[in-house]
Amino acid sequence: MLSWDELQKAKFTETNARERAFGLVDKGTFTEFVSPRDRMPSPHLPVLGEAIGYDDGVVTGIGLIGKRPVFVVSQEGRFIGGAVGEVHGAKMVQAIKLALKAYEDVKEKYPDSYEERLPAVVISFETGGVRLHESNAGLLAHAEVMDQIQDARGKIPIIAVIGSKVGCFGGMGFVGAATDVVIMSEQGRLGLTGPEVIEQEMGKDEFDASNKALVFRTTGGKHKYIMQDANFLVKDTVGGFYQQLQEVMKLPFAEIEKFRRIGSKELVEEQLELVKLAVELGAKDSMDVWKYYGNEDPAKLVDMGPEEFLKVAKRRERKLG
Amino acid sequence: MALNELNFKYKVENPQSIAKEYSHLGVVGSGDLEVLMEKKDFGGGTEVKVVTPVTGFDKVWEMVVTKFVKGNNLGDLLIEINDNNATPVVVSMRLRQALAEANKKEKGGE
Repeated sequence: MLSWDELQKAKFTETNARERAFGLVDKGTFTEFVSPRDRMPSPHLPVLGEAIGYDDGVVTGIGLIGKRPVFVVSQEGRFIGGAVGEVHGAKMVQAIKLALKAYEDVKEKYPDSYEERLPAVVISFETGGVRLHESNAGLLAHAEVMDQIQDARGKIPIIAVIGSKVGCFGGMGFVGAATDVVIMSEQGRLGLTGPEVIEQEMGKDEFDASNKALVFRTTGGKHKYIMQDANFLVKDTVGGFYQQLQEVMKLPFAEIEKFRRIGSKELVEEQLELVKLAVELGAKDSMDVWKYYGNEDPAKLVDMGPEEFLKVAKRRERKLG
Repeated sequence: MALNELNFKYKVENPQSIAKEYSHLGVVGSGDLEVLMEKKDFGGGTEVKVVTPVTGFDKVWEMVVTKFVKGNNLGDLLIEINDNNATPVVVSMRLRQALAEANKKEKGGE
């Protein structure tokens, strides 16, 4: 495994879940919960003759960013596409539960200075949603994670990090959208129905999943950034995400709440305006929408490096936040 | 249908265990595997457990694992492999990588 310093420069898309978890918090501070040595594979896969993994495709643990305890959940896309089964889901839920427990503990122990020590949850998504081999348990896990995110509202920030190969799709697309802050890279992808599934159900005319450029400008980080579905766009390195997390951690909680895209009546109304726009604009491609928001030459944005893109890209203006 | 579990035991002369208490390497991706090595008091012996969906290649598994354990004079060691249809070459490579990781001096990943 790469050292922490090497990881900071390493491409986020080329690292595995454990390396990402390790590199997203301060140097040398990461401790894993239920590590492979604790041997917690899925109980459902062996009867189906499917390969098992001792971490069930997710790495959870705790580290520090500055003074703040950060509870990390990092999904591994190479293990059954990062799909969420019973053990995988339980590990996610428990990590958030522990963060909420830490919130109470910190508040009690440091009544005057708890804000600078407030815990946070960072979820590095790399998943297609429910693991179909464990359908009911997988669905239940999604609901439980959602529950925990709701319990954390107004207490601790839940931050989504999306920059891995598989992206964040299926039921976990909802979970990603329900977090307080979304940080993406250009290579990160966020959506509900994945490109292949749209093509399979609606045909190639509707969505051509083999057209990578189309897939990325529809579900990728740049589009999500312009649309304000992603709050921040960073370089495709572990360090890029880590530095952005450090910046977010410096903000007071009231500021972080403003990054939310859903979760109140006003925010729902803001989202509904987008639905209205989609009908009125009759956009055929995400570039039409980019143009609508003031990007004169949207095709230029596609191949632009992240630094230049951040300078010139015009985003949807938010009414709230 | 169920997963295939293989167990092997070895005893070599002048065995050597690993430097770290334990070490983990790899991801159970398609055609790949994870290796968990743990220092254990086996009286100099080595035990290997393989869990794989592959059936009918037990002999090949035994050859690959035997070559690795005997070739590196391993002892007082538990090796566990969770495999997802890796080829013998990949298995050999991951085992060698896992051993290198287990003997790394500086504090590595875990």
